[in-house]
Amino acid sequence: MTEEVKRIATPKGEVLVVAEQILGELQPVTLELLGAGRYLADKLGSQLTCVVMGYNLADMPQRLVASGADVVYVADHPELYTYRTLTYRRVLVDLLESLAVPPHICLLGSTTTGRDLAPRIAAHFETGLTADCTELDVGPYEHKSKVDPSKVGLYEECLYAIRPSFGESLKARILGPWKNPQMATTRPGQMTPLKPDPGRQGKIVPIPVNLKPEDYRLVVAETLREAGKGLKLQEADVIVSGGYGLGSADGFQLMYELAACFSNSAVGASRKVVDLGWVPYEHQVGQTGKTVRPKVYIACGISGAIQHRVGMSKSGLIIAINKDPEAPIFKFAHQGIVGDLYQIVPEMIRQLGKVKSEKEVGTVVSTH
Amino acid sequence: MADPFDIFVLVKQVPDQGSKAGLNPDGTIDRAKAKRMLNPFDRYALQAALHTKKTYGGRVTAISMGPPPAVEVLMEALEHGVDRGVLLSDRRLAASDTLATAYALCKTVQWVGRFDIIFCGLQTTDGDTAQVGPQLAERLGLPQITYCQDFKIDDHRVHAERIIEGGYQKLDSELPVLVTVANSYHPLEYKSFRGAWRVQQLLRNEVEQKKYIQTVDLDVIGADPDRCGLKGSPTIVAATEKVGEIGGNCTMHEGHTASVLVEELLGCSNLKEFVKA
Repeated sequence: MTEEVKRIATPKGEVLVVAEQILGELQPVTLELLGAGRYLADKLGSQLTCVVMGYNLADMPQRLVASGADVVYVADHPELYTYRTLTYRRVLVDLLESLAVPPHICLLGSTTTGRDLAPRIAAHFETGLTADCTELDVGPYEHKSKVDPSKVGLYEECLYAIRPSFGESLKARILGPWKNPQMATTRPGQMTPLKPDPGRQGKIVPIPVNLKPEDYRLVVAETLREAGKGLKLQEADVIVSGGYGLGSADGFQLMYELAACFSNSAVGASRKVVDLGWVPYEHQVGQTGKTVRPKVYIACGISGAIQHRVGMSKSGLIIAINKDPEAPIFKFAHQGIVGDLYQIVPEMIRQLGKVKSEKEVGTVVSTH
Repeated sequence: MADPFDIFVLVKQVPDQGSKAGLNPDGTIDRAKAKRMLNPFDRYALQAALHTKKTYGGRVTAISMGPPPAVEVLMEALEHGVDRGVLLSDRRLAASDTLATAYALCKTVQWVGRFDIIFCGLQTTDGDTAQVGPQLAERLGLPQITYCQDFKIDDHRVHAERIIEGGYQKLDSELPVLVTVANSYHPLEYKSFRGAWRVQQLLRNEVEQKKYIQTVDLDVIGADPDRCGLKGSPTIVAATEKVGEIGGNCTMHEGHTASVLVEELLGCSNLKEFVKA
């Protein structure tokens, strides 16, 4: 040990957010988690802490304080410049073991990094982890089942990890109050960050980095980010999404044509068609894809299962086109068209094309 | 080339979400009646395992955990060219969460024996957590490569490409390693009709089937039943609630020609504002 971690005594254990940065760029999900974590910590009457790992982090710890953290643990070390499972795992395990009281709650982003790291931490500490939560809260829970008598009792302050349950229009509340930290991940875009307050006061605590030889079994040769490349599903104003109702991969041509009618648009997809290989994963909207909030979301041939809904329900205007009038999507769309999308969508493209030429001419003429 | 590789691939049987069979009127799933299928994500893991065998030589063992019908996904794996299957099946595993599942799979893997590489699907379509792979790696003390979309092996190191937000990482790892395969990896090749038919004929004979697919329980693999099932799971589903209807007042357009329906839509919404000028 080069230096001892300062122990922050919190009676109930803190709420710890694991920050995420890629090549020195703080990821928005971290600020969202701090927003959620602040709410949980205030309700528990405990501290909100945050751990950030990286190299040459500059003002990042201060930014985390400004966004809600009371304490920021900082591991700033050349070996931590890029995320690697085993090195980050080591620092995080060491930090958790050094705390006098384990955190009450530990939150990570449901990103490629968080989903890589969180399960390792949970398995190491033999504690519960709930993936892809859409809501987080704390509250009481009484466990009555006598399958395991040691678990029976009233637990005052459990993490309520709420996520959609499989294939059903149901939300499941998942609890694991028996062991701390109670862990959860949330998808980017699900939680609301606080407005940064540069005047907020917080403690910045350097933590030691003691890597072991076995942590070097995995090395990252290169991290490549293609700036400006790829589709910016999360930044589009209009998203045209296709589902199984398209019938085949070729149907996506029509989705692109409809999307081309709008400025700043992108093409999304339901999970089923991504699983079928009709379009690549990066198009997927929903619980296991991206969470989007465009101004307009046009769902074509998508039934609207809960897994899809959680990824797009915050869109401004939701338009659904589906053959089946009973499709769940009509329960939460704002505008619904019942009909064959292969008739409706080409007609939309035709009428929107007219609107376009009117805009170009700069005069308003009747569509009739 | 040194010794041939021992390649493990983990597969799971999941309910078929695309089929209406086993769907209760309220939208919940009756798992007993639902059609069953190989977890779609595992098809990529299977392809990675078979590709490794074909390119570098070795033997592929498919491992699954589930109730007795899960043997079907092992048979499917064998039809695709996997050499043998192991099914962990035990009533005491019911209600296992990901941590308990990873424990049981860890004990199974250790029971099966030596391996160089373990492939898993990125996640399952019923649990959707992507946790079991990394939790298994932690329990086995292995490095891991998640979201792997391409790899090659040389000199007992895996060189892999791993998806990250807005890009990818090139990384390499010592063997043994656990790899979860992304669905941007190559899709599973069609099985050869003749090969699959031969395997089907072979497995129809129960004695032969047992030579290729072993079914084991917790006692055989030496797992502690208290660390499995409900007892070994740190999380429980405490409550489920119907998702509230958001919006709930969808303006419906139906029963007219496409052109009337679209006119109605454009009249009722501000969609025109977003049209590219």
